[in-house]
Amino acid sequence: MTLAIEAEELTRDFAGGVRALDGVTFAVDEGEIFGYLGRNGAGKSTTVRILTTLLRATSGRAAVLGHDVRTDAGAVRKVFGAALQDAALDELMTGREHLEMAGRLVGLGKTKAKERAAELLESFGLKAAADRIAAGYSGGMRRRLDVAMAMVRRPQVLFLDEPTTGLDPQGRRAVWELVKELRDGGSTVFLTTQYLAEADELASRVAVVHDGRIAAIGTSKELKDRLGTTTIRLKVAPEDHRRIRDAVHPDPVAEDDGWSEVTVLGGEAAVPSVMARLVGAGVNIDGLAICPPSLEDVFVELTGTEIEASAGGTDVGKITAVRRGLGVPTGPGR
Amino acid sequence: MTPFAQVRLLLFRSLREGARNPVLAYALPVIIPFAVLVLVAKTLYRVTDLPGFPTSNYAEWMTPAIIMLTAMTGVGYAATSLVIDIQSGFLDRLRLLDVRPTALLLSRVLFDVARVLPAGAVLLVVGLVLGTNLNEGVAGVLLLFGLLVLWAAAYGGLYFVVALTTRNAQAPLALAPLFLPLQFLSTQFVPESLLPGWVQAISAWNPFTYMIDAGRAMTTGPLTAAPVVKAVAVATGMLVVTQVLSRRAYRRAMGD
Repeated sequence: MTLAIEAEELTRDFAGGVRALDGVTFAVDEGEIFGYLGRNGAGKSTTVRILTTLLRATSGRAAVLGHDVRTDAGAVRKVFGAALQDAALDELMTGREHLEMAGRLVGLGKTKAKERAAELLESFGLKAAADRIAAGYSGGMRRRLDVAMAMVRRPQVLFLDEPTTGLDPQGRRAVWELVKELRDGGSTVFLTTQYLAEADELASRVAVVHDGRIAAIGTSKELKDRLGTTTIRLKVAPEDHRRIRDAVHPDPVAEDDGWSEVTVLGGEAAVPSVMARLVGAGVNIDGLAICPPSLEDVFVELTGTEIEASAGGTDVGKITAVRRGLGVPTGPGR
Repeated sequence: MTPFAQVRLLLFRSLREGARNPVLAYALPVIIPFAVLVLVAKTLYRVTDLPGFPTSNYAEWMTPAIIMLTAMTGVGYAATSLVIDIQSGFLDRLRLLDVRPTALLLSRVLFDVARVLPAGAVLLVVGLVLGTNLNEGVAGVLLLFGLLVLWAAAYGGLYFVVALTTRNAQAPLALAPLFLPLQFLSTQFVPESLLPGWVQAISAWNPFTYMIDAGRAMTTGPLTAAPVVKAVAVATGMLVVTQVLSRRAYRRAMGD
């Protein structure tokens, strides 16, 4: 079986000695939605630019549907559709004209290009704005038009570089639905994102990329089982905090706002025995929450920072990382 | 899609875009040459009284030069648009749709040429109204517009080189007034014999001079081979050099 996308030891150095990618290896099966998760600057866009033949790798090799992106770039460009991180539109062209031009360029006849454009305008909710020039489009409309252009030829492999950044929740849902439809139609989707929920919702497998390397790769469940943490949150009287620590030792405990948070080292399977020990120790539980591992924990574990931290301010991010990662050692060194 | 069809589609895109920005795209090449032609023909016509001036019809003297000038006054718009295409990521967007980068460059060069044709036609009409005689008839006019196309591509090429080398969309604007000194350092206003010696020396190296001399041969006449061959050679040389340089800068600007 041909792999949809293969990358082997990809590296890319930029002028000034910046190494954007540092030996990235992964394989994507046909029909898969592959989530490529990382912060800004992790190397997501560089990977996409190499796979879509826009940029040459400094070393390593990559192929799309068996065509080498370097030696057989022409063949590669005929099988994929792609929307890059910044929606690049011609300000003086209307939405319809963009799609019709894209259709013609990928080889559709005049009538077919018009039909396809009308279809996409409809499914991306751009029908009303179809004949206005792009200069007047909102951020969300620009992004939707850009993604629509990537889908003009019903690509076998679709690259979407942060397709929902800047979209409102409805717009995000709409893109998600379209991505799923494409997968159901047999296409492969390579999706970069900085939203954990997006990777969790869509991707059959996730690669966490950090500082130009793949930090972990697997299904969302595998990653959570392997690297995530299950926590039990307990609302108790202050005098019970001590009792909890003794009962669950050596599992780490943190206190916060009248809540005790126990990180269950044994994972979800160990929750019942920890609960039994708490009850046995006579802890009076006023409130209880069991938090299963999340992709966010995995991300913190792998990269030492929370992903949303990069989108906001660094200081705020650090504080959240510490608060959310209660009991889990964090820090830039990890 | 064949590369030829890509160029055609992208040229159509430029022309349509021009129609949405008509003042900059289509009116600018006309305005300054129109003003120069009318003002000069109406205020300085008595220079024809100078001994050695070859004609008494100053409008006729100026018209072919002014038509060639249209290639130089509105120039740079296409080069600026190309830099914007690169910077906005639109070029990458086109490459993802399997467009050859040279198709985009070529479509913009052709757009520069296309913009000049209506301007040239308007000024020909203005020249006729002011009393220009077309002694070489329709054949001469067709040759004149052929040379205008070649000259527009060659002179516009300079702006592509500057725009793509600096990767600055504003750079062609800064270079726009280049046509001013080139006019005075050529045979546009008076024949070579009436220019001071040092200007004559520069004028002989000014490509615009060759366009003007050939333009006059094609309108006022007599139409001989020498000026036409020289003008075509100069413009072709400029075209080749600027295209080679701008292609090289273009590749670098694409940043791989």
